[in-house]
Amino acid sequence: MAFTLYSLLQAALLCVNAIAVLHEERFLKNIGWGTDQGIGGFGEEPGIKSQLMNLIRSVRTVMRVPLIIVNSIAIVLLLLIG
Amino acid sequence: MPASKRRVPVSQPGMADPHQLFDDTSSAQSRGYGAQRVPGGLGYPAASASPQGAFLADPVSNMAMAYGSSLAAQGKELVDKNIDRFIPVTKLKYYFAVDTMYVGKKLGLLVFPYLHQDWEVQYQQDTPVAPRFDVNAPDLYIPAMAFITYVLVAGLALGTQDRFSPDLLGLQASSALAWLTVEVLAILLSLYLITVNTDLSTIDLVAFLGYKYVGMIGGVLMGLLFGKIGYYLVLGWCCVSIFVFMIRTLRLKILAEAAAEGIPVRGARNQLRMYLTMAVAAAQPLLMYWLTFHLVR
Repeated sequence: MAFTLYSLLQAALLCVNAIAVLHEERFLKNIGWGTDQGIGGFGEEPGIKSQLMNLIRSVRTVMRVPLIIVNSIAIVLLLLIG
Repeated sequence: MPASKRRVPVSQPGMADPHQLFDDTSSAQSRGYGAQRVPGGLGYPAASASPQGAFLADPVSNMAMAYGSSLAAQGKELVDKNIDRFIPVTKLKYYFAVDTMYVGKKLGLLVFPYLHQDWEVQYQQDTPVAPRFDVNAPDLYIPAMAFITYVLVAGLALGTQDRFSPDLLGLQASSALAWLTVEVLAILLSLYLITVNTDLSTIDLVAFLGYKYVGMIGGVLMGLLFGKIGYYLVLGWCCVSIFVFMIRTLRLKILAEAAAEGIPVRGARNQLRMYLTMAVAAAQPLLMYWLTFHLVR
């Protein structure tokens, strides 16, 4: 069972990359998950869908620059070490 | 053989025997070094004393040593100041404030939670009481010890089946840690999505999820002693115990106050929280089985 921390790291990097490449206009708006479609009223319950949309938007905003760095490091390391 | 090889304190420290190859500095130079060398015993050659003595007598190296020690002190200060930013050391200390009685009671609770009545953590002016004083408080000592013991027991089990190699130990440890991380991340994600206002901190969560290693160790050890039957029996018992333990503990943390007292509260919100609690509790036996079944043949 080769489920190691390293493979977890790889999976996490791939997942965050996947979230970062979701296209705002072509995809998220079409399925109703756009950033400007989320904000319902100011009721007590945000609801799972709006929480998820918030999460996706925050991940995309926050991780844009660190992802560039981490991806470059990963590319270099994988080229060197395989 | 020069007499100076024995560490005999000389009455006139400054006097040097012309036949001596080395200076006897055990009483002359710094008292601190003398105190260090005395427990070393007479086995140490006095040769090691003299170069240090000559070294320290040089004023330049004196200054260098003072500078070096001040640099080390500054570095230590810097580390101490900044370590709290990355690892919450003071918070961690709370989780290791345990004593033998607590550990014994908690282990008993982990394998037999059915008779325990009061699962509330006692508070003392807004902060939870240290684990030493309250058996319901989470701690990190048992999970840490149990994890290390699990890795060692896994090595033992693999060794009795002639399947052992040192890197397998690292693989077991890494695998268990990876599953723990996945669990913690999944639960944190679910807590965020369901907008639960809870005081369940991440470290608390790690502590609760680490309690299953105790059952795993028991199962594997029984499996080693009594074969598959023993393994399944003990693992089954520990699985059910951990399930009940987790439900009773998490119920107080995740569910609303009313529901925690046993009154079923209807409503979509509470239902989701109930599902989350059940899912977390149900994941424990599954993981316990998954991480140990390959160790018992």
